[in-house]
Amino acid sequence: MSWQVKSIAERTGDLLPGSPWTAVLYVLLTILAVTAFVTVAGLVLIYAERKIAAHFQCRVGPMRVGWHGVLQSIADAIKLLMKEDIVPRDADALLHILAPVLSFAGMLLVMIALPMSPTVQVSDMNIGVLYVTAVSGLGVLGILLGGWSSNNKWSLLGAMRAGAQIISYEVSATLALLVVVLFAGTLQLSGIVQSQETGWWIWRAHGCGIVAFAIFLIAGTAEINRTPFDLAEGESELTAGFHTEYSGLRFSFFFLSEFLNMFVLAAMASTLFFGGWMPLHIGHFAGFNGIMDLLPPGLWFTLKTTAMIFLIMWFRWTFPRLRVDQLMRLEWKILLPIGFVNLFVSAACVVTGFYFFAQ
Amino acid sequence: MPADSVPMPGESIETPTVVAPPEKHVGVGGAMTGAVPWIDKAGVVGGVFRGIRSLFSGMGVTVGYLMRPSTVVTQEYPENRETLKLPDRFRAQLAFNHDDKGYHKCTMCRICEEACPNVSIIITGREKPAVSKKELDSFVWRLDSCTFCNTCVIVCPFGVLRFDGTFESSVYDRRLLSYTLNRYAGPVASVLEKMEDPEARKAAMDPRDPYSGAAVIAALIEKQKATKVSQRAAREAARAARIAAKAAAAAAPATPPEAKDVG
Repeated sequence: MSWQVKSIAERTGDLLPGSPWTAVLYVLLTILAVTAFVTVAGLVLIYAERKIAAHFQCRVGPMRVGWHGVLQSIADAIKLLMKEDIVPRDADALLHILAPVLSFAGMLLVMIALPMSPTVQVSDMNIGVLYVTAVSGLGVLGILLGGWSSNNKWSLLGAMRAGAQIISYEVSATLALLVVVLFAGTLQLSGIVQSQETGWWIWRAHGCGIVAFAIFLIAGTAEINRTPFDLAEGESELTAGFHTEYSGLRFSFFFLSEFLNMFVLAAMASTLFFGGWMPLHIGHFAGFNGIMDLLPPGLWFTLKTTAMIFLIMWFRWTFPRLRVDQLMRLEWKILLPIGFVNLFVSAACVVTGFYFFAQ
Repeated sequence: MPADSVPMPGESIETPTVVAPPEKHVGVGGAMTGAVPWIDKAGVVGGVFRGIRSLFSGMGVTVGYLMRPSTVVTQEYPENRETLKLPDRFRAQLAFNHDDKGYHKCTMCRICEEACPNVSIIITGREKPAVSKKELDSFVWRLDSCTFCNTCVIVCPFGVLRFDGTFESSVYDRRLLSYTLNRYAGPVASVLEKMEDPEARKAAMDPRDPYSGAAVIAALIEKQKATKVSQRAAREAARAARIAAKAAAAAAPATPPEAKDVG
């Protein structure tokens, strides 16, 4: 079965010569859809996190607003919108205002490259992986600026920790990405998904995929500053780290981008290692593959991403926080060497064609 | 020579030879390896795998809680008000132990009042005791300043006080948070038991309203004010007397200054 892959940008391009106003409308609708998706996904993720966290800890979580508290996120969002927006007197006002926007923009720009189904992808760049890696770096800038401009030592400490941590773990995450890029032979995200038509990279690469996935998951969790790597906002040490001085809408921007970054990480992990929207296929086993194709690709993407998000939440509510030196040792002395060796081994595998279902 | 001993004046102030701890491998956990013996025993690779296994077992524990809703300990209060169960030692309100007949054993010894760290207990005695030498009038407990330290319950020699779980104590006026704990003003249980005549017993007891605490405190404050006023009046009278005496002394022929010098 061949997939009709066409991104929204391409479709807009097709529309452009005939009816430019329709194309403009299309673009506007896409912007609206992405914004709506970001907002709704953020609210859903926050509710899910609270509920799952509660049950991990023998609690029940939000129960009062709506059935089992489903409207709690909306109530919180309204509350945040109503809150006073404070810029501290001694803060660098411009940077203080800019920081959450940058942090949010980094997340939003990654969002447009994610292939959610063959047709639901805003822009299918041929350097997709590179783009995602580069743009997600904007988030660090937002965090660093937020910590610096707040003129608060806790914020600054948190931001510096976050900066050191994210930049360090970026290396390992990229090494893990490169493994998949090597096997798929392309940087295009839809191309990577299509390269997994005969099976997911996590099991086709003789262990290299699993190692790369483990490294990617650890490094990714560190990059989005979640427990066990939440030193940047360790509330027991730094009150709230870089967003101590933020309130109201600006705080919610940080908060939202934090949760959406989790979604981005989960989506990237499922795209690279679990075939993205590609249904579960095993080689050329047509009968099995046919049954799997009954589920639409968008649903496959949703299921895989949800599973990854659950895994990340599971980590958060189980593992204790690392110390700064342990964090750096884990990256530079353990993950990085393993990542390099893994990259070499997978390069050898690719050169010799030694993996399952090599063409 | 121990490393931490201070060198004597005669001794050389060279760094004392400290026996270096045996070189240890630095595995996962690095600086901690010296302190955690089982990582040393397992070696680097063993330590890594042990660590990973412990992470997975931790995840097993948490997912166990997630999967079994029966482990939830949350009590959703207003809904489960009928079936709510509080622990026996829950300290919500101080209460008086009255026996079946409604008598208490408080002898007004004031030990609890002394022990209370922030004057949350105010005890007043009856001005005209009916039977005994001293009789309790009001035992006022201020919920608004109490820290629930339980000291009063511990020090009471007669076991009169207890903390109970009646926790719904919100009111619209904070004066209502001063409770009078005793149900009657009067002698203790043992004295009342000895009284044969029920009428006399009844006469000796004067019922007290639980919410009269604020009034008792207000009366005390009034009394103190009155005392202050009278004290002030007394002081002023004394001052006036002093001034009058001085004036009298000035008016009278004073002793000549020479005599003072000689003295």
